[in-house]
Amino acid sequence: MMRPKFDAKTLWMIRKEVREVFRSRWLILGFIISPMFAWMFQGAFLSFIVGQTSEEPEQVYITIEDDGIWARTLYEEIYANRSTLLIDPLVNITLEEGQQLVADKTISVWVLIPENFTQELNATTKSTLQIVVNTASFRATATASRIDTFAKRVINAAIVIRDLQVNWYTISPEANYGHQLAIFLVMLTSVLAPAPYISKSFAGEREAKTLEALLVVPMSRVKILGSKLVAGLALTAIYSLFTAVGILTYNLSIILRVGNLAPELQQANINRYTVNAYTIPLIMFCQFLLLLCAIGIGVVISCLAKDRATAESVNSMIMLIPTFVIGILGFTGSLLQYGGVLLWIILAIPFSHAVLFLNAVLAGTGTLMGLSINVGYMIGFTVVFLFIGAKLFEREAIIS
Amino acid sequence: MAFEEDVVIKTEGLTKIFEKGKKRQVIALDNVDLEIKRGEVFGLLGTNGAGKTTLIRVLVGLLTPTEGKAFVLGRDVTEDIDYIRDRVSLLPQEAGIYDRLTARENLVYYGGFYGIPEEELNKRADKLLEIVGLKDKEHYQVKGFSGGMKRKVLVARALVIEPEIIFLDEPTTGIDTLGARVVRNLLKMLSSEQKRTIILTTHDLNEVSELCDRVGILNDGKLIATGKPSQLEEKFRAANLEEVFTGLVTGEGVYGGSTP
Repeated sequence: MMRPKFDAKTLWMIRKEVREVFRSRWLILGFIISPMFAWMFQGAFLSFIVGQTSEEPEQVYITIEDDGIWARTLYEEIYANRSTLLIDPLVNITLEEGQQLVADKTISVWVLIPENFTQELNATTKSTLQIVVNTASFRATATASRIDTFAKRVINAAIVIRDLQVNWYTISPEANYGHQLAIFLVMLTSVLAPAPYISKSFAGEREAKTLEALLVVPMSRVKILGSKLVAGLALTAIYSLFTAVGILTYNLSIILRVGNLAPELQQANINRYTVNAYTIPLIMFCQFLLLLCAIGIGVVISCLAKDRATAESVNSMIMLIPTFVIGILGFTGSLLQYGGVLLWIILAIPFSHAVLFLNAVLAGTGTLMGLSINVGYMIGFTVVFLFIGAKLFEREAIIS
Repeated sequence: MAFEEDVVIKTEGLTKIFEKGKKRQVIALDNVDLEIKRGEVFGLLGTNGAGKTTLIRVLVGLLTPTEGKAFVLGRDVTEDIDYIRDRVSLLPQEAGIYDRLTARENLVYYGGFYGIPEEELNKRADKLLEIVGLKDKEHYQVKGFSGGMKRKVLVARALVIEPEIIFLDEPTTGIDTLGARVVRNLLKMLSSEQKRTIILTTHDLNEVSELCDRVGILNDGKLIATGKPSQLEEKFRAANLEEVFTGLVTGEGVYGGSTP
């Protein structure tokens, strides 16, 4: 198979494909609405859930490893303000018990006042409190957020300027802050969005009998395929652009939602729930890769399908089943919590890597190695499927 | 292979077999030997499934021969297809059209694939749209066109690249009587004035008699007769080409003559 070169004929072909695509107003509208819907719905859903659940008390475990004044003060203040902090009950447990609960993933919120907490605070004016939270639970996350803000206020209430650093340790790091819904919707809309274009561009051309005349022009089939893919990339660019618009709209909805909270809680909630501006390009990039994967799979299906309706139906079925499986597993917490054959099946599905990537980016827990593996897998998967698609496109049967 | 100077299409023992599963084969072309000369209008006749479209598809490189050789403009279709495609045009039997493009864009975009400058393409499109009577509709998206109007756009599209050889698979199907007349006149002009080679398939034997210098009759993938319409009528002592055709493909023989 020859590598396509962007000569004048290829550029001409790209121009024709892009112009045709951009005349499909409903297709373009779908690529604008889908990403914005995903994020705006996430904003509305999150506001609704937080509004519904944060008023309910949550069971909180606490472990005090330090017997100094500041540890006692902090514990007593939390205990005395249980009703304000919506904690019920506050359960004292040992370090070992807490660690076991974390290992069992049966804990909602666990506050750990570590050893030497008071000593460090007195010596350096800085100390660290640890909060372990199951971020898959909106209510637990909201409770942890209140404890975080409250603990800092208690410590800093002293005349001496002190600084309490609160470390959050999430039980399900990829399920942070309830972003699973956005991730699920992003994944769902991303894998389904290219289907109409791809099925129209390949199976649709077969059905409309335009492919035969196109394949007689003096261009290699790889270039024809490549030109169609470039038009697909133009669509994915629109999708990515409006993903950014959707995220910004989502952030705005969070800012508006916290407007009626106490001032000290406003910034904490904004920091917690909004998507960091620095991560937006990464999200757009991931979505772009996800769309490419979907296009790769779509090309293979469309080259095999006899008509557009079949291509779209098969495409939807093949895309929806793994997307729903991965999406629903994502709601239960970490995709990596599953073991054995199931884990390998999960990891074989490219959309899982998009979920892992997005979770890691949104939770700020991603490592370069982990993200690179996710990106590499999605790119590799796309390349393999495009290669298969190119081979299928070169068959004689493509015109029959 | 030796060529006479003015032969532009030559096949020798051309065979195309489609494998349908592991046990079934369909012989679409069976040992076809054919020569077509430059400037000829050659009509391919045959019933549905006789192999006309398969033959054209092999000659434009859409299908690879199973056996035998096919040469277009002196080049082997399996080796020099890019050279051939630069110089031939195809109007497929069920040619579709890009509905979201205008009539003019359909012509200009198609021509662009052949590396013809846009300015030149626009001039040619002006002329062709005028000839086929669609100049006043040139900026309309063709999705609103009737079947006949679309067919006219497609004929114009096949001609916009000014090919040396034009393959037309049932060019007047679906066009009204007047439209078909326009297309036929256009093909006559291309043949007589510009000496372009035209290979067309059709079921309209009057069209064949009017347009074609020579015809070839395909039946079950075999080329069972070739020659000028008048020669075939004389050879088989038939009153017209329809009698020749019917007698040969049904195997009933031709009045006064005999099947080969």
